[in-house]
Amino acid sequence: MAVSVLVVDDSPIARKMLIRALPSDWDIEISQATNGIEALVAYRAGKVDVMFLDLTMPDMDGYQVLETLRKEDLNCLVIVVSADIQEKAQERVQNLGAIAFIRKPITAEGLAEVLKKYGIVV
Amino acid sequence: MTAETRTDLTEDQRDALQEIANIGMGQAGSLIGKIWGEFVNLSIPRIAHLDRQSIPAALTRLVGDHSVNAVRQAFHGSIRGEVVVVFSGGRDDELRELMGYEEADSVEEQELLLDVANILVGACLGGIAETLKAEIGFSAPSVMGLDISPALLIRPDELNSGRALFLEVRFTLEKKSLASHLVVLMPEDEFFVLGQALDTFLASI
Repeated sequence: MAVSVLVVDDSPIARKMLIRALPSDWDIEISQATNGIEALVAYRAGKVDVMFLDLTMPDMDGYQVLETLRKEDLNCLVIVVSADIQEKAQERVQNLGAIAFIRKPITAEGLAEVLKKYGIVV
Repeated sequence: MTAETRTDLTEDQRDALQEIANIGMGQAGSLIGKIWGEFVNLSIPRIAHLDRQSIPAALTRLVGDHSVNAVRQAFHGSIRGEVVVVFSGGRDDELRELMGYEEADSVEEQELLLDVANILVGACLGGIAETLKAEIGFSAPSVMGLDISPALLIRPDELNSGRALFLEVRFTLEKKSLASHLVVLMPEDEFFVLGQALDTFLASI
């Protein structure tokens, strides 16, 4: 069955760059959200296996999404994709339950490495 | 269509610039955060095309209507413009502490401002230029004003251009009230070259 992937970023360019970087042979269904609120709507509808999450977004940011998912008993894999490359930002999101952190600008190679490392794509 | 509106960036170009600025800002935030030993909160970059008369009011809106310290630094090369770094809030000696100077150190406040501005501008604009594959160099930064109203930082009549691209990013600290705003101003006659660089970037993704 296809894996449901949700791409959350307020920037249409960043979403496009991420989607282009996804492995072409990965059987997925992609949906998109432009902020945390939309991401949670999609999550609550129960159709998210893997979430690529930006941190700096209007209305509801990535940290708030992670906090909410944790409160609601997180059961999707969250990979944070952010330009905020401070070590503390990476620590924080991993403490909040994100499995990995990818720095922007995203590359196909960098993304493939993370997906492989966490056994998401073999 | 007037000459002014014809040269404005398109929506796609603005989206691209915003994301590229986000990446540059992340690099600058990481660098200054390491120097300061503090976590730096990054804003969402804001972009606008402004007529020069509206720039003082726009600056005041962004940084707040209270006195600020500000530094300017020009960049030139395949794209050119000017960056204004505005420091607002914070106690008088906050920046000195953050930079790790003791009170007894004879570092002038102006030097401190120039140092911090230079770091932020170099990293942020350097990151933007790198993504755009643009070659840029920087002039030495200079102090625009200390304890001055933001509306007085840039006089509309000193701008050669009727219209400017205005890009703002903001660095704030969690436990301190100091905020640093980095405002990039690019004159109207640069819109075309910048737009071309953004189109090249867009075509590559």
